Amino acid sequence: MTEEHTCPYQHHQPDDAQDALELDKMDTADKSLADALRISFIILKVIMVVVVIAFFASGFQTIGPDEQGLVLRFGKIQTVGSNGDVTLDPGLTWVFPYPIDEIIKVPVENRINLPVNSFWYYMTPQQVLNPKSLRPPGQTLNPIKDGYSLTRGESLADLVDGAAGGNDYNIVHSRWQITYKIKDAQLFFSNVFVRTVKPGDQFVDLMEKDVRPLLMCCFEEAVVTAMVQYSIDEALESKGLAEDVKQLVQAKLDSIDCGLSVQNVALNEITWPRQVAEAFDAFISASQEAKSKVNEAQTQADVTLTRTAGGGAREFSSALKDPATPEAKMDALWARLAGNAQEILAGANAYRTTVVAGAEATADYFNRLLPEYRKYPDLVVKNLYFDTVQDVIDGVDEKFIMQGEAGDQTRELRILLNRDPTLQRSGPTTPNPANAPY
Amino acid sequence: MKNVGIPILVLIIILILSLMLVAFQVRETEVAFVTRLGKHVRTMEDPGLYFKWPMPIEKVHKYDARLHVYEADMGETTTKGAVPIIIKTYAVWKVADPVSFYRSVGTVLQAEAKLYSQIQDTQNRIVSQHTFSEFVNSDKSKIALAQIQADMLADLKSSMETEYGIEVRTLGIKRLQINEKVSANVFNRMKTARNRKTEATITSGQAEATKIVTDAASIRKELLAAANGRAMAIRGQGDAEAAQFYKMLDAEPKFAIFLKNLEALKVMMQQRTTLVLPMDAAPFDLLVNAPDPNDWSE
Repeated sequence: MTEEHTCPYQHHQPDDAQDALELDKMDTADKSLADALRISFIILKVIMVVVVIAFFASGFQTIGPDEQGLVLRFGKIQTVGSNGDVTLDPGLTWVFPYPIDEIIKVPVENRINLPVNSFWYYMTPQQVLNPKSLRPPGQTLNPIKDGYSLTRGESLADLVDGAAGGNDYNIVHSRWQITYKIKDAQLFFSNVFVRTVKPGDQFVDLMEKDVRPLLMCCFEEAVVTAMVQYSIDEALESKGLAEDVKQLVQAKLDSIDCGLSVQNVALNEITWPRQVAEAFDAFISASQEAKSKVNEAQTQADVTLTRTAGGGAREFSSALKDPATPEAKMDALWARLAGNAQEILAGANAYRTTVVAGAEATADYFNRLLPEYRKYPDLVVKNLYFDTVQDVIDGVDEKFIMQGEAGDQTRELRILLNRDPTLQRSGPTTPNPANAPY
Repeated sequence: MKNVGIPILVLIIILILSLMLVAFQVRETEVAFVTRLGKHVRTMEDPGLYFKWPMPIEKVHKYDARLHVYEADMGETTTKGAVPIIIKTYAVWKVADPVSFYRSVGTVLQAEAKLYSQIQDTQNRIVSQHTFSEFVNSDKSKIALAQIQADMLADLKSSMETEYGIEVRTLGIKRLQINEKVSANVFNRMKTARNRKTEATITSGQAEATKIVTDAASIRKELLAAANGRAMAIRGQGDAEAAQFYKMLDAEPKFAIFLKNLEALKVMMQQRTTLVLPMDAAPFDLLVNAPDPNDWSE
C-alpha cells in the first residue's frame, strides 16, 4: 500500500526531459504548493502506517497471572486450545483487533471476602465501632431491623403435632464471612451480570459489586436452610454448621451455572439473643460448675484408687474382671501394684518368710539336739527342762512357793495381786532374745 | 494508474461503513431478535455475527441474557393453621424468550415490577398451603423447607415463563422470621427451657460426680478383696513350706513336742506373771529335802 503511494511522486525527480520542461514552466508559488502537498501526503502516509500498525498491535493483549482470558469472535466464545479449551492462560496473546475479536479477562485467582452481618441484631455504626455503647435490648426483636435465624426445637418429647405444633423453635444471631472466587470463567462471563468496564473502573471492583446481591441471596438462603436443621445448642457449638452452609451455597451456585466457587465459609460469631442472655449465662456457669464437680470427683476417685493400688488401679481392676486376661499379664499387674493392696501383699509375704524361717530354725535346732538326745535322752530332757524352768521362774514378777501338806486336805490361799501398773511394767516387757532358743 | 491507492482506501471505508449498517453481533451474554417494520422476523439463539437490512427496514432488539437477582420485600404472611410468619424471598431470573419479553414487559424495570407482584402472590399462596411445623420442627424429618421452595419455584415459573419470556432459574427464602410480638413469647419460652436445662445440668453433674466417687470406692473394695485373697494364698503357701521343715521332726515326735512346749512356756511366762507353786515340785523340793544320791541309781 505504501509503495503505491510513493510511486506517483517519484516522477517529480528530474531524470526525465519532459518533466524537467514542466518544472521549468511552474512558477515558484506552484512549486511551494506542490511541496506543501507533498509533505502533507508524507505525513498522512506516516499517520496511516502508524494507525494500521496500531490497529494490528491492539490485537496484542496480556493476560495477568491471576486471570484467564476468553476470546470472543463476533461475540461468540472461541475454542483456543487444541483440546477444546476456551480459556487462555496468563501471558501475551494476539487476536484480531476489534470489532472482530475481543478478549475478556476474568480474574479467576482473585479471592474476595464478603462479610455477612444480616443475621445479627441491629447496631448503629457507632455501636459497631464501640460495642460497649450498646444499650440494653428491648423485650422483642424487630424483624425489619434485627437479623436472626430460627433453629429447630430441642427435643422430640416436647413436640405437639398438629397445625400449630412443632413450633418449639429458638432464635440465634450469627455473623459470617464468605470467601469466593470464580472457578469457571466461561460460565461466569456468560451468566453473571457484571457491568461493562468503563475507563477508570477495575473489573474486580465492578464484579464484587455486581456479584454481591446474588451471592448474598444464595448464602442467606443456605444459612436459613441449614439453621432450621440445627437445635440451638448444636448451632452454638457450631460444629459442622459452616461446612453445611458452604455445601448448600455451593450447590445453589452450581445449580444456576454461575461459575462461582465458595472457597471458605467462616462463622465468625454465633450467639443467643441478648434478651435471654441471663438464662443462658446461668446455664453456662452451671455447666462449668457441674464440670468442676465432676473433675473434683474424678480427682478424689483417682486419689482413692492410687492409695488403694497405685497408678494402674483401673487397668488392674478391669483385667481382674476379665476372665480372658492371660496369667502372665495378671502376674505382671500384680507385681506393679502399689498402695494398700501392696501393703497387704507385703504383710503376707513377710508372714510367709517368717513362718518358713521359723520352721527352718526349729528343724535345725531339733536336728542339732537329736544325736545328743538319742545318746542320753533323760539327761538332755531334764537339762532342757530345768534350764527353761529357771528362765521362766526368773522372769516371773511375783512368786509364791507353798508348803505341801500330807493327805488330800484342801487349803485355801488368797493372794492380793498387785494391780499397780507401774509395777507391772517394771517386769520384762520385751522378750529377752537371749532366752529364746531360736 | 495514478493514485490507485486512494480509491481503494475509499472503497474499503465505504465497505466497512455499509457492513456496519447491515451486520451486527450478538454477544455471548445477549439474546436478540430482528423486527422488519415492527414485525418479528427471526430470533438469534446463538451468539455470533448476523446480517440484516439496514435501518429503518429491519431493527435489532438485544437483551442481556445474564442472571438477574430480584429480592422481594420482607413480608408477613400466614401459614396453614394461621400462624404468622415473616419471610423474604429472592428470585434469580433471566430473559429466556426475548420476543415475549419485548412484547409483555420490555424493560428490566417492568419485569421486576411483574416479579414483585408474582412473588408476593406465590409466596402467600404456597405458604398458606404449609403448616408452620414444616418450616421449623423439632423433628428434622418433618422440615419441608426445600419442598416449600420447590413449590414456590414451580408456581412462579409457570406464571412467568410462557407469559413474559422470563426464566426463573432459582428461588429461595433468604429470611425466615417471626413478628415482633411473637418474639417476646419465644424469648419467654427460651428462658424457661434454658432454666430447666440449667437445673438438669446441675443435677446430672452431681449424679455423675457421685457415681465417679462410688465407682472408685467399689473398685477399691474389689481390689482390696483381691489383694486379701492373694495374701491369704501367700500365707498358706508359707505355712505349706514351713510344714516341709516340720516333717523332719517326725524322727522323734515326742521330743519335738517337748521342745515346742518349752518354747511355748518361755513365751507365755515372759511378762506380768504371778506364779504359785507347791514346794514339792522340782526344784523347790531341794529347799526341804536334801538329795540322796543313793536313790539315783536305777
